[in-house]
Amino acid sequence: MSRYDWLLFLHVTGAFLLIGGSVTAAVLNLSALRRERPSEIALLLGLTRVAVFAIYGGVLLTIVFGLWLVNASPFGYGYGDAWVIAALVLWVYSNAAGGMGGKREDETRKLAERLAAAGDTPSAELRSRLRDPVTLALEYSSGLAILVILVLMIWKPGA
Amino acid sequence: MSVASLCGPTCDAPLFVHVLGATLLFGALLTVTTLGFASVRIVQHGPMLRRLAFTTMLAVVWPSYILMRVGAQWVLSHEGLDKNTPGWVGVGFLVSDVGIVVLLVLTLLGWLGLRRPRVGTWFTGLAGIYLVALGVAVFAMSAKP
Repeated sequence: MSRYDWLLFLHVTGAFLLIGGSVTAAVLNLSALRRERPSEIALLLGLTRVAVFAIYGGVLLTIVFGLWLVNASPFGYGYGDAWVIAALVLWVYSNAAGGMGGKREDETRKLAERLAAAGDTPSAELRSRLRDPVTLALEYSSGLAILVILVLMIWKPGA
Repeated sequence: MSVASLCGPTCDAPLFVHVLGATLLFGALLTVTTLGFASVRIVQHGPMLRRLAFTTMLAVVWPSYILMRVGAQWVLSHEGLDKNTPGWVGVGFLVSDVGIVVLLVLTLLGWLGLRRPRVGTWFTGLAGIYLVALGVAVFAMSAKP
């Protein structure tokens, strides 16, 4: 195996962790949206920590080995290529939006934990926080950006 | 040699379908493994978590698997690799085709787990093992040793 093969493997592993973690977070979030009991909502949002670990690992591996791959590639790719720049911009956006959305959701989880400890009865405030359009827009747009990055990585327009 | 170098410029759509399916499958299995593990550890929410794991099997794992497998066959026939199959493709075939049996057993265990909580341990263990097998397939597909 050449150095390029190893770099590609580590980069692809990062992509699997990043997209896989995002899928897990999305399934758990959507499941929490369909729940009423605060204890169940707190549990499901708490389980997204597993997804967050995968996402962090993926974020690190994709950027480090992705940039290295551009340099080591035998196909003449460069840091100035439009598809590389677009992917980097989307990667930054995805991290920023996902991070902000995740922070807001963590506040929702803490509210759910407080409500669970205080009787575990359904709450209008919690329901409203779960469906907060800003949080949902940040999280869904972060996922969409990751999907577009995958499209760019496969098609490499202009390469 | 990379996947991109094996697949020429016209291979983009088949490769995208395959990679998208594989990454979604990885995420879906990570989800059911997490839910299964939590259902064993957090007994009071076990029924809800097992039901969610079973629903995820049906709604996310199986569609992702089909997407991955259809994409794999599309790439294979597009590139003529079905006539002269390299070893790393064999690893992918092994993991994906044995995967049908594993996913069928997982679906059965998930369904049984709705009534018998003890089955949840087997469900979680098998899901975890298949997640590792997918990792091996990722290595074979990307590094092509």
